Amino acid sequence: MLEFSPNDHRAPDRQQDLTAKNLARLNQNPLPAGDTLRFVFTGDSQRFYDEAEDLVKSVNQQAGVQFLIIAGDISDFGFGREMRWVDDHLRKLKIPYVTVIGNHDSVGNGRKAYEAIFGPLNYSFAYGDTKFIMTDTNGREYNFDGKIPNMPWVNQELKDTSTRRHVIISHVPPQDEDFDPAVRDAYVTALRNDPRLAFEMNGHRHDFSIGEPFNDGVTYINSYGFEKRQYVIVTVWGDKQFRLKKVQF
Amino acid sequence: MVQRLLLAALAAAPLAAFAGPNGLTTLPDTTGATPSSGLSPAPVQAAPAEPLPWYRPRHVVAQTGGGLGMVSAGFGYSLKDRLDLDILIGYVPRKYAGSRLSIYSAKLLYSPWTLPLGKSQKWALKPLMVGGYFSYTHGTLNDEEPNQYYRGYYWFSTDTRVGPLLGSRLSYALPATAKGRSRNLSAYYELGSNDLYVISYVQNLKGLSPVDILTLSLGLKLDI
Repeated sequence: MLEFSPNDHRAPDRQQDLTAKNLARLNQNPLPAGDTLRFVFTGDSQRFYDEAEDLVKSVNQQAGVQFLIIAGDISDFGFGREMRWVDDHLRKLKIPYVTVIGNHDSVGNGRKAYEAIFGPLNYSFAYGDTKFIMTDTNGREYNFDGKIPNMPWVNQELKDTSTRRHVIISHVPPQDEDFDPAVRDAYVTALRNDPRLAFEMNGHRHDFSIGEPFNDGVTYINSYGFEKRQYVIVTVWGDKQFRLKKVQF
Repeated sequence: MVQRLLLAALAAAPLAAFAGPNGLTTLPDTTGATPSSGLSPAPVQAAPAEPLPWYRPRHVVAQTGGGLGMVSAGFGYSLKDRLDLDILIGYVPRKYAGSRLSIYSAKLLYSPWTLPLGKSQKWALKPLMVGGYFSYTHGTLNDEEPNQYYRGYYWFSTDTRVGPLLGSRLSYALPATAKGRSRNLSAYYELGSNDLYVISYVQNLKGLSPVDILTLSLGLKLDI
């Protein structure tokens, strides 16, 4: 309560490094090779705390889901306290959750708050047969400096052949005007050329969509925002087969 | 940024002018010497204090928290020992906010009652202070550079905040100055919030609790 500034990102221990803590929890229930992957996909929790409470109740009734992903915009104003408010709800999930940074999380000193409370802006993790690559695509928040997404890092992650398949997740979709136009081609091309890529996932648009916006065989899936009171359960098996199920709450 | 600072100054100026003229009257502005209240302790004074020029600050302030700095310090004016206007500059180190911040703020607080405590006439309590603040933060990292966003991209300001305040203040009467002005040293707490926290709560009465959006300040005020 003795807050130095809304940009003050101090947090109790239990609300620091949440990405690492959630991944440690996920790894306590490893997925054997060949087993089906199933996770909840949502995004843009922002200022929707009432909905967050209901989403947790709904997800906790789902059997067989392994974790939950929020595709960015955890906060609305980039304040640490907002990120902790969302965690206050999501920590009641029976499954771990992971996030990727959104443009709203980047406002003001938001990136520093995100790093303190969640963790790195670019990170990857393997679960079962799948490597998840989580990357910052909020180019406008860097004033389109030509470096976001960080393509050397993305390319290096995509080059990794230690898992059967890749899933790449970021907040701003590459077809969006908030994605750095100077980096769009490099990103889209890298994804097209990755034989292991199952699909690409984004938030930002607050509504579900699925398609091939670049007509190059790469599937892009967008999440519902929390306020839409719907989420998607993603089931993945085989090399790249997947099924989506929409759930209302 | 300059426009915002000017705006802050403009917003504060009438209040300062309003608070100022009081100093020209015979009413000293401190708790210890307000003869009309009847409730206040009134230490014996050798001679009436000389009137002060309107622009001369009546007290200095230092506080922590409240979204206005790890430490913030400044000065203020007082009207009839009930209305205080304080101007503060706060500081937050990089360690706690990601970058070094300076926070410029103005607080306006109204205290309807002053209650004497004990028989010594030294202690007094203002059980209720109610008011608000305006603050501008300098030094945030991603701070709307020209042409970064199109108009209205974000509806809120990253650096300008306003918010309500509610608190109490305990005063101790120090010996009067050589010129006969009574002086108090006060300690106060304030519970506050800000525009964005309040909006978040109002739209999520189920998902957030009032405690979630509260901030706390602790401070000292010394009459000069």
